[in-house]
Amino acid sequence: MPPGALTDERDVREAYSAHAPELYGFAVRSLGDSGLAEEAVQETFLRAWRAGERFDPQIGSLRTWLFAILRNVVIDLGRARAARPGVAEKGIEPSVEPFDEALLSWQIEEAMRRIGEQHRRVLVETYYRGRPYAEVAEELGVPEGTVKSRVYYGLRALRVVLEEMGYED
Amino acid sequence: MKTDECRHWKEELGAYALGHLSREDRTRVEAHLEGCAACRAEADSLIGVARQLPHADPAQFGPAPEPPPELGKRIAATIGSERRAQRRRRQWRFGLGFGGAAAAAAAAAVLAIFVLGGGEGGEPEQHVAFNTLPKGVKIGATLKPQAFGTEIHMYVKGIRSGTLCRVYMRGPDGRDVSAGTFRYRWGGDSDATLAAALDLSRAEALVVHAGRRTFVAPLDRGATTDRNSPQEEEST
Repeated sequence: MPPGALTDERDVREAYSAHAPELYGFAVRSLGDSGLAEEAVQETFLRAWRAGERFDPQIGSLRTWLFAILRNVVIDLGRARAARPGVAEKGIEPSVEPFDEALLSWQIEEAMRRIGEQHRRVLVETYYRGRPYAEVAEELGVPEGTVKSRVYYGLRALRVVLEEMGYED
Repeated sequence: MKTDECRHWKEELGAYALGHLSREDRTRVEAHLEGCAACRAEADSLIGVARQLPHADPAQFGPAPEPPPELGKRIAATIGSERRAQRRRRQWRFGLGFGGAAAAAAAAAVLAIFVLGGGEGGEPEQHVAFNTLPKGVKIGATLKPQAFGTEIHMYVKGIRSGTLCRVYMRGPDGRDVSAGTFRYRWGGDSDATLAAALDLSRAEALVVHAGRRTFVAPLDRGATTDRNSPQEEEST
């Protein structure tokens, strides 16, 4: 059994407090239903615990491993629903493609939530809303150079957060 | 100073990476990048981040939903009871010398005893036997009231290995509350411990979807014996 394996109930509790908010947030975002998301997160931690001896932190982070399990859970949920249209309340795509795309979106959005408000604000205004820097600067009551520098530090902060989250290009 | 000069250029690099600079400014920045490896590396890295931005939806930048507090408790309770069941199994195997090829039979035997033997602390458990089943298939369950809802020990035998089983408890309003999923593995332990966030006293039925088949066992509310008359539902 590799050191750091998830064998104890305490290990699972720790893993839960560290990663459940993210897994749940993502599950809600991708499944579009909080009940289903709860089900998926519960199943993810149960499977993680059952397979806990196989988890090796040398190979990958706990977070990555949990997301990989969640991915299988979501696929199983989708299959089960596809097989039983009578029971399905809301359709989920059983395909994997949307999962990976949704995960990518969610990671960037989560990183955006974690950077400072000032940084997020200028990225939203200049990038997502495509507004001119001068206009944004006036609205914020700061020089245009400050908006530019916030854009720079905002992207840097985003990079750091994505790295912390174990994001791989 | 080189660093001060780079600081000025670097602050342009965000807008540069996003493609927001005027043509003139872009040309000036690129001229600097030609001669400055550090700024070039920084620009490349920021362009990498900028490329990811289209994947995000700015409408989602608000606070993410938090998992409900009872979710963690429910998971901990399920794992706790699964662990207890595991220990019990291990004790049995050790004591009776089961092993290897006899593992499946062992699991079945232990489960039968476990189901018939009742709970640990004398809490009223309810045993559910699905009687009307296809030939060779056995499904049974023990339901135990818990603070979080109901703990469910499922026992399945005789269905195709790898079949995904989904278990629900039907509430008084006819809605099915999920108790989770498990896979039937031939040759392995064919039981599973699950949990549903519904009080046993309020549950109307136990519903098991095994692959494409659906089995429903109506529960006798408050009963502790298996007086039920389970039936198979037509599934579409």
